[in-house]
Amino acid sequence: MILTARALRKEYSRGGRPFLALDDVSLSLAAGEFVCLTGRSGSGKSTLLNILAGLITPDSGSVSFAGREYGAMDDKELSQLRNTRLGYIMQGHSLLPNFTVLQNVILPRVLFRRADDPAPRALELLEQTGIRQLSAQYPASLSGGELRRAAIARALLPAPELLLADEPTGDLDEETAAEIMRIFAAVAEKGTAVLMATHDAEAVNYGRRRLTMKSGRLV
Amino acid sequence: MADRPYLTFSDLALCNLSRRPFRAAGLILLVAVMAFVLFGGSLIVYSLFNGTDALGKRLGADILIVPKGYDQKVEGILLRGEPGAFYMDAAWLDKIAAVEGVRAVSPQLFVASLNASCCAMPVQLIGFEQKTDFVVGPWLKTARPGGLADGDIIVGGAIAGQIGDTIKFFDRDYRIAAKMDRTGSGFDASVFMNMAAAETAAADCAAVGGTPPPAAGAISSLMVTVDEGYTAGGVTGRINSEFGYGSSGIVVLAAKTIINSVSGGLRAIVAFAGALAALLWVLSLLVLSVVFSVVLNERKREFGILRSLGATRRRLVSIVFLESGLVSLAGSAAGVFLAALFILPFRAYIQDIAGMPYIQPSPGQFAGLAAASLLLAFAVGPLASLFSAGKISRGDAYAAIREGEA
Repeated sequence: MILTARALRKEYSRGGRPFLALDDVSLSLAAGEFVCLTGRSGSGKSTLLNILAGLITPDSGSVSFAGREYGAMDDKELSQLRNTRLGYIMQGHSLLPNFTVLQNVILPRVLFRRADDPAPRALELLEQTGIRQLSAQYPASLSGGELRRAAIARALLPAPELLLADEPTGDLDEETAAEIMRIFAAVAEKGTAVLMATHDAEAVNYGRRRLTMKSGRLV
Repeated sequence: MADRPYLTFSDLALCNLSRRPFRAAGLILLVAVMAFVLFGGSLIVYSLFNGTDALGKRLGADILIVPKGYDQKVEGILLRGEPGAFYMDAAWLDKIAAVEGVRAVSPQLFVASLNASCCAMPVQLIGFEQKTDFVVGPWLKTARPGGLADGDIIVGGAIAGQIGDTIKFFDRDYRIAAKMDRTGSGFDASVFMNMAAAETAAADCAAVGGTPPPAAGAISSLMVTVDEGYTAGGVTGRINSEFGYGSSGIVVLAAKTIINSVSGGLRAIVAFAGALAALLWVLSLLVLSVVFSVVLNERKREFGILRSLGATRRRLVSIVFLESGLVSLAGSAAGVFLAALFILPFRAYIQDIAGMPYIQPSPGQFAGLAAASLLLAFAVGPLASLFSAGKISRGDAYAAIREGEA
């Protein structure tokens, strides 16, 4: 298994009252698996994805990536894992407005610099996502679908072993959403495990497995 | 940045600053004003200290004696180069020399020039007794071992002309035999000559309607040094008690009193400049802290995104420090540069306003002051961003993203 989560629990304070976002959630993902995570808003999907990405620490439970527990890693190790082995597409627009599309896509490489030039691969990914012609544009001039494609290209830059996507088709038209799903399916075909949170009934059909969340629990 | 696909780490910081050019310019301006005051103030204060120090060394005497009522005038001559002429009986020379504790006494004769070919303003002519003088004499022995011939003069550092040039006073030519270094005091605008030449100049001055001529053998001041084991204050008291304080027709001034009056004024300037610089430093620190804190709130989502892409907490803190450091560096460099640009050329004007000896620091001292000011001003930015940096290093990335969306 590339990713294993055991008995995850996370509680927030909402309006001064405790709110249980995750309650005893366990799951596993194998390499090349395309899993869809569904559930109503507030059911805990985003919290789960963020815990799996190592961005939130659960109150209890554990997550391991390729056999190594997040709890045993320091900030640098966990950050490096996110940078090199994990792709994360967050909800909403996530491009930095002052950089061009291409610069946004190679942004992860600025954070952990390596010797090779990331531009050729970034351009190849922009080609695959159909927005290579927009590489020199700034995010402000892109549509919602184009922004999402750029975010996907950025998440795929390190050739991740795990791709986490939070509502990637949320505000897209059917045709664009279908194109993005085809990209995800192709990525999974090549061996990347994909976990996608979605409300989109059509998008769910692309996944090989479906998990549903309700009130913080997997049902 | 848009022209090249590659980004560097510093691009992230530069980009954020350029996104809000007016805010960045305002912060840079604030640091620049603070650095200007810091460096400008220290430059002026340092120059005044240098001047006071040089005056003390140049004065050479422990005690000055002048006619009663001319103590302020002699300070004007010594500190600010305001020409003046006053006379007393030369008999005081022997009387003072006989006082216990007096080691040496040397007379001087003051003549205020009218317009001279060397200078836009009248200058102070000072006649001195070559045999007994210990003010100019020791320096003259090194600079011009042969002494001064009749018609030869020594000029202060601010007098135009080089050695060998001729200057005309009261239509009479004088040859520059030596030129003193600048002292930042009234000596810079003074011309020294032997006593006979000064008496001639005094007569020339009277002939063209200047100060009436002194009586034959009259002098303007006596420069006194005290013997070992005696203090200037003690000998001053002895002279006053021997000749009657207030009724003798002379004023006895300890040289230190003159220096101390300068130092007293200098202390007030140091206190004012120090307080202003400290106030601006703290103000800059507070304003920058508030601004960086506000900026941090605006950029929570951005930091959350960077975190999701693999930025370590340390990396985010580095971005914050880099941005504040760039603001500080630009502001402090601009402030120090502008202070140098505005203060260095106006040495004479500042000296005039301060009314004190003023000597600008040497290049080495200047570089040291500039470096210290730069460092102190630069420190404001990183210090101001400590709170924001701390908040980021403790923050939860997901919470940051969610709060940034709100």
